[in-house]
Amino acid sequence: MTQTASQHGIRVAGDTNVGKVRETNEDSMIVDPVRGLYVVLDGMGGANAGDVASQTARDAIREYVMQYRTTTDPRTLIEAAIQHASATVFNAAQQARERHGMGTTVVGCIVVDEKRAVVAHVGDSRAYLLRNGRVQMLTRDHTIVEELVDKGLLSAEEAERHPYKNVLSRNLGAKPETRVDVTDVELRPGDRLMLCSDGLYGYASAEAIQYLLGSGDAPEHVARDLIDLALRGGGGDNVTTIVIEAPQPPPSSTEVVRTTGAMQWWQRRSRFLQIAKDRGLTKNPIVRGLDPEEALELIASSLCQAVFHDLEKSTGVNVWTFAQNIAGGWFERSGEWAPLRALMDILATAARAVVDDIGVADPKLGFLLSIAVSRALVVGELAIGGLLAERLNRVDANLIKVHAAMQETVDTAQETALEDTGDRFIDNPTVPFLRPDRPVTSPGVSAELIKAIEQTITIARSRTSQRAELVKQILSSLETIAIDATGNFASAVLAAREIYGVRPVDDTGIMPLFDALDQARIITAASVHQITAPDAMRAKVLRALSSAHQRLVGATTGLVLEAVAPYSERLREVQAKTSEMRDQVAKFERKRADLERKYATTIDHSQPWEKRGTTEW
Amino acid sequence: MSDVDLVEAVKVLRDEVLDTVEHGDREPPGAEVFDAILSALQIGGESIPGLDLNLHDAVARRLAWGDSEESVLADAESVFDRLIIASERSLPDPPDRMVVVEAATQVAVTVARVVSLAAVARATRDRAARLREEMAQKQLEAVLEKQRSSIVRMELETEP
Repeated sequence: MTQTASQHGIRVAGDTNVGKVRETNEDSMIVDPVRGLYVVLDGMGGANAGDVASQTARDAIREYVMQYRTTTDPRTLIEAAIQHASATVFNAAQQARERHGMGTTVVGCIVVDEKRAVVAHVGDSRAYLLRNGRVQMLTRDHTIVEELVDKGLLSAEEAERHPYKNVLSRNLGAKPETRVDVTDVELRPGDRLMLCSDGLYGYASAEAIQYLLGSGDAPEHVARDLIDLALRGGGGDNVTTIVIEAPQPPPSSTEVVRTTGAMQWWQRRSRFLQIAKDRGLTKNPIVRGLDPEEALELIASSLCQAVFHDLEKSTGVNVWTFAQNIAGGWFERSGEWAPLRALMDILATAARAVVDDIGVADPKLGFLLSIAVSRALVVGELAIGGLLAERLNRVDANLIKVHAAMQETVDTAQETALEDTGDRFIDNPTVPFLRPDRPVTSPGVSAELIKAIEQTITIARSRTSQRAELVKQILSSLETIAIDATGNFASAVLAAREIYGVRPVDDTGIMPLFDALDQARIITAASVHQITAPDAMRAKVLRALSSAHQRLVGATTGLVLEAVAPYSERLREVQAKTSEMRDQVAKFERKRADLERKYATTIDHSQPWEKRGTTEW
Repeated sequence: MSDVDLVEAVKVLRDEVLDTVEHGDREPPGAEVFDAILSALQIGGESIPGLDLNLHDAVARRLAWGDSEESVLADAESVFDRLIIASERSLPDPPDRMVVVEAATQVAVTVARVVSLAAVARATRDRAARLREEMAQKQLEAVLEKQRSSIVRMELETEP
């Protein structure tokens, strides 16, 4: 049974469950957002009297609060309501013989406003407060053992092992009057109060409760998950919980842009595409040869998506990558500056129009978005500026000579390394899918071909940015692998290990690797067309370098697969251990149930319930 | 470059490259790679890396159906090798061959990228699942401890 409600921005949800062992639910609760009254009661006493006790107390508290809430201050009100409930339960117990000894615990809370609440309790039902991700207990259990600890007669460790640690020292119904502990709580935005019966904390760890309370999920989900948690922990008792959430602080501008702003932007995607089309994006020389719809999809839709992701995460990474890819590809094809400028202007115009639309509907959001989207577009312009600077650098002819001189040294070092390693990777490949029986696709390496390959790589290096160290490293590896026509995989695997180096196993570690491999491929393909050789020789060079590239990519991917393999293995090990533990829990539960049945027959029903021992396990 | 329609010229190599006779009515392994190469030839020039969504979908589908990353890569490798050999023989004009080689290499890198990212995503999921399992183990340990002490106490109290 779940109850959810909200009042003055305070969201509340309560849930209760009979558990897996008991047949009746002796817990009760009040979720009354109109009066700000929330109560959890845990009844006790044989012959179905527990549920009568908790329901009687519940009704008494509710009636008392309804009657006196306008004339009494909250602190006095809740204390008096609980006293009234105690007397009511006591009287009810006296009127029927079979209900003698029935009683109930209670933890209740009156939420005065979004900044203040009053918590009161009797017995071992608890209240917790979650603030800034940390949980603190607001109540102290009223058990005999706990009072002995307070008096210094028992240590905390002894109390934990004490056989009567669950025997209550106070409850509602044992006497007409009881002592009620009342605590004032100052609520802050985002705080969460949680009231629960011992069926929750008795079957779920404190860490798990803290994790769920602090998860940020809606109160109704948290209440439901807490119940599930107790059930998964055995569900040996009735379990009830109420989660009360103080209003969240107003979202910051960044959060508004990340959520509402990004969503509004994405909802106007088709408008963005339409404006880009109207402004002539599909006629731009950069997309010549593409179907108009395809051009819109590749350029406008990609930018729209990149801006969306950057708004969502408050970064500029996606627009930066988009601009680099578009401009990089265009420049590699020796494209002119003017069409690229025109293309970016069209996209900026479309973006401004979309932001203006949003601004008409919601001026504040429009203002925030105009800043965020402008920033994203500036990031794109900066990326293109970087590429232009690189282009200018390439004009420096001396760079070619410097690179060539440096490369001679590197080549000598690599040749020495290859001689040392021999063919060991053929017999025992370390990369899973590199097949040693793969046919040798190289048409043979003549002196003329080697010279042409070297010439191509020299040109490719001169076209590579000084900062792109990884791309330059890949180019050197391609040269080594392409010249090695023996069908030996050692050079590819060695080069892949060198390039892979040490990197995290996530997108930030792997993506740059493949970006560099792609860039090296594009540069190599463009450089082949610039060497002084007949077409047939160029084709041979491209084939040798492409085969080398394909092997290098294969070996690199093999290393990625090697790097991720341990994660699955570790998961399988942990899953096996969890399964064993679950079996053990089930076995113990069966044993405990047997003992409980055996013990139940030994209870002396003629004794008052406090003296019967306890059935609270 | 000659006037040959490269897309058509490569299309006729499908049976040879994919060895379709061997696989009968079934979709031959590596068909998604071959189709991606055709698509790259159709578009012409360089596309934005990783934007071939059809190829992404096809590779992701194969992985989802239980094919290993290694087999997806091996198929891509096989298509690449066979296509290079077949185009060498069937395309007499060197610039035509170069266009095909460029497209095949581009697709090979994309397949490797997709497979690597899928593997990394799997590792992330496994890592998260392990954390959840460890958290569950903590709870189970607490429950076991509680059960143990309950059983000991109950055994003592129920002794005659």
